[in-house]
Amino acid sequence: MIRSGPGRYLFLALVALLFLFLLGPVLLVFPISFSADSFIAWPPSGWSMKWYAAMLEQPTLGVALRNSLILGSIVTVLALAIALPAAVALSRGTFPGRDAIMAGLTAPLLLPTIVLGLALLIIFVGQGLIGSWPGLILAHLLITVPYALRVLVTTLGTLPASVEEAASSLGAPALQVFFRITLPLMTPGLIAAAAIVFLVSFDEVVITLFIVGPHLTTLPVALFRYVESRTDPLVAAVSVMMVLFTLTLVVVLERAVGLRRAIGGKAG
Amino acid sequence: MAAEAAPPHLELHGLEKRFGATRAVQALSLSVGKGELIGLLGPSGCGKTTTLRMIGGLMPATDGRIIVAGRDVTALPPHRRDMGIVFQNYALFPHMDVAQNLSFGLEMRKIPADERQQRVQRALAMVRLEAFAARKPRELSGGQQQRVALARALVIEPSILLLDEPLSNLDANLREEMRNEIRDIQQRLGITAVFVTHDQAEALAICDRIAVMRAGVLEQLGTPFEIYERPANEFVAGFVGRVNRAAGHRGADGRLLLGDVVLQGTGHAGAGPVTIMIRPHRIRLTDTPPEGIGWNSATGTVTRRTFVGDLLSIEVALGPASLLVEQHTFAGAVVAGPGDAVRLAWRAEDTLVFPASPAGVFPAPPAGVFPA
Amino acid sequence: MGRFGLLPLLVLPAVAVNLLTFLWPMLNLAGLSFREGMPGGGIGTDFTMATWRDLLADEFYLEILLRSVGVSLTITGFALLAGYPLAFFVHRSDARWRNLLVVACISPLLISAVVRTYGWLVILGDRGFAPSLLRGIGIDPPRLVFNMTGVIIGLVEILMPYMILSLLAGFGKLNQTLEEAAASLGAPPLTVFWRIVLPLTLPGILLGCLLTFVLTISSFITPKLLGGGRVLLLATEIYDNAIVTLNWPLAAALSLIALGVFGAAMVVYGRIARAAERAIA
Repeated sequence: MIRSGPGRYLFLALVALLFLFLLGPVLLVFPISFSADSFIAWPPSGWSMKWYAAMLEQPTLGVALRNSLILGSIVTVLALAIALPAAVALSRGTFPGRDAIMAGLTAPLLLPTIVLGLALLIIFVGQGLIGSWPGLILAHLLITVPYALRVLVTTLGTLPASVEEAASSLGAPALQVFFRITLPLMTPGLIAAAAIVFLVSFDEVVITLFIVGPHLTTLPVALFRYVESRTDPLVAAVSVMMVLFTLTLVVVLERAVGLRRAIGGKAG
Repeated sequence: MAAEAAPPHLELHGLEKRFGATRAVQALSLSVGKGELIGLLGPSGCGKTTTLRMIGGLMPATDGRIIVAGRDVTALPPHRRDMGIVFQNYALFPHMDVAQNLSFGLEMRKIPADERQQRVQRALAMVRLEAFAARKPRELSGGQQQRVALARALVIEPSILLLDEPLSNLDANLREEMRNEIRDIQQRLGITAVFVTHDQAEALAICDRIAVMRAGVLEQLGTPFEIYERPANEFVAGFVGRVNRAAGHRGADGRLLLGDVVLQGTGHAGAGPVTIMIRPHRIRLTDTPPEGIGWNSATGTVTRRTFVGDLLSIEVALGPASLLVEQHTFAGAVVAGPGDAVRLAWRAEDTLVFPASPAGVFPAPPAGVFPA
Repeated sequence: MGRFGLLPLLVLPAVAVNLLTFLWPMLNLAGLSFREGMPGGGIGTDFTMATWRDLLADEFYLEILLRSVGVSLTITGFALLAGYPLAFFVHRSDARWRNLLVVACISPLLISAVVRTYGWLVILGDRGFAPSLLRGIGIDPPRLVFNMTGVIIGLVEILMPYMILSLLAGFGKLNQTLEEAAASLGAPPLTVFWRIVLPLTLPGILLGCLLTFVLTISSFITPKLLGGGRVLLLATEIYDNAIVTLNWPLAAALSLIALGVFGAAMVVYGRIARAAERAIA
């Protein structure tokens, strides 16, 4: 549309500005985490590593991080174990109500998390699940199973049915077809689903805020509580660690998708 | 064509597939002899692939029975039917190399490893791909993938080989080469095979018999010769090979008229409007038409002449009709141009007469000729 | 696949999770709005319209509802204005760069909203990046956090990736040759944009607006932290009633109102999208 003249440079400048706007908040956290001040100020009066040191001496955040990692891992395993069979049934079976079931199972993604959190809080209080591991796990399954289901159903949908039919015609019974053909071909989708589930669980705040208890909290919730009460560069240091962790996960995911080539493609 | 005499190996009895109110395949009955290669031919949507998928067990039949060597297999799942299927897109397992693809069906049959290896080797040799055993499917060309698919379907020594448009993804040159290779291997193994295609030339070239289908109905079953020379109806005549189509009339006295030209023809003898079909290459342009019984001749005006290399394609207006005449280009051929009056001659047995089809059911293409 | 008679049973675990953590709690929540909240977090046992009556009679809540919808529409508008040029640029960029740019646009989604909101505190805070920049060029900076301005700036940025993703999905129909054709027919660039580009990308625009709108209505972390307790919206009110004042029936009723706004947004979207589709096709 804009191909030449000053218009093009104006457009490029606008795009650059918008990119800065979009990425600025995450980028600025990095320099602030090295601030020597005890409050947020730009530019910092000096540079130091003291907030990273402070982070290590912060027992609450450390425990919360550990909880988040454990929770994310359990939820990832469970969400995949629950979503995979459902995805197979929904994309390979033809039975009445199939579309309605799919819609119902992904419905939680359409509703505000604040409403889901409140609804869970009220039920969980009655069942004594507030501030408990089973409570947190169930709450995270509520929002991660739909994501996993969506990714896996899409993955299964893109696998050509004729490959499974070929295996069947060569004498493989249904279970053999699944484990020898379908599952190996789904690997990239499974890895993507696992990564998304873990990230969603690891970053979830709103629903978790309703479910956590005084003795069991997650990192995003602990961070939220911390920022609510005071804003010092400690959070910047933690944020930097979280961003780096997420980045690592994304790179691993990228490698995993590269794995697709190893599975489907070049031998040697 | 000795296969025709063989006892039936595959029988379809009243095979039917309905999707809701649509009858995709209608009461199809057909028997295939041992070692016979039968083609299911028809335009897309005629039910040929649906028929194949029902034979292979990939789709349940709504009604009817499928018998293989006297045994009813209608209710069996595909993995217990013992049929080798070559899919249109080959459906090779992308995560396995060529040898693993071939070995898969043998593993399912619990064949011991050393025998498996031998049979895979033999199958690879059969399709001349010994050197490609360790390749992944995506590292192969289209023709090579096609041969792997064929070898994979055959290595299990199935009772029947099913081929679903196996050549449609190949380019023209390769298609001809592969169809001959498929035919050679099929004859060498003496295996009963069902070959689905929409390409009439392919079907004519390699099938022992052809079943022409339209809208779920079997229109004609016969040898390629019968299908081409004695089409059972207007649809078959039009679908297989190129043909001129003209509206004519047969009087109560039995005289066949194209405009005001009296013709001798074969086929439908009833009085009333008829459709007359003549293949373009069976019409001669000649100054001295053969006279007498068995020959038709008429005079027309050339309206267009197209040079297509080995053929001259000449359109001739003949009364109300326009006939396409194809003439091989050779020295001494009559060369007529637009506006010239020419004499045409063709044999009575090449003049196919069918009852006129109701309007709309089978619309006439613009040039009066069905494309190949 | 009639032979896989047991296949449908495989959905049972997922259905069980759904019933336990979704359907039951949501139905229970709806029912709760017809109870009465007692001081100190007690809940009446009788069916009553009292909660709804109080809620609908109180202008405070009407104000909150209107403010929430207004703020959401404002944020949706800004997100569209900011997202469109970016999406357009990404769509038009060289295939080599496009993947990288798409990742750059959506990678903020992978980072916790708490972290990104904190980033805005760093930028907008009284001694933050933006005020010091403004002071540097001699402008006395207005207050940018703990008020509506901060909430709007923060949410526009936080929800922008969703807008960009939707726009990119809608840009699929856009083909540069169409613009070239229009230009060759004599249309100046701006006309090409209004008459060709905009109509073709309308489905993506509508989808992005719907998504941004409903996500704003339900967003809670950013209004809470950047609003500093002074920006009262539907979501923050639900949270305060649930956690602070412990009036669950009221929180439940407010939740149903939020769902109502969601439903209304979808209906409006459906109407406009259908009309747009008819206009294009």
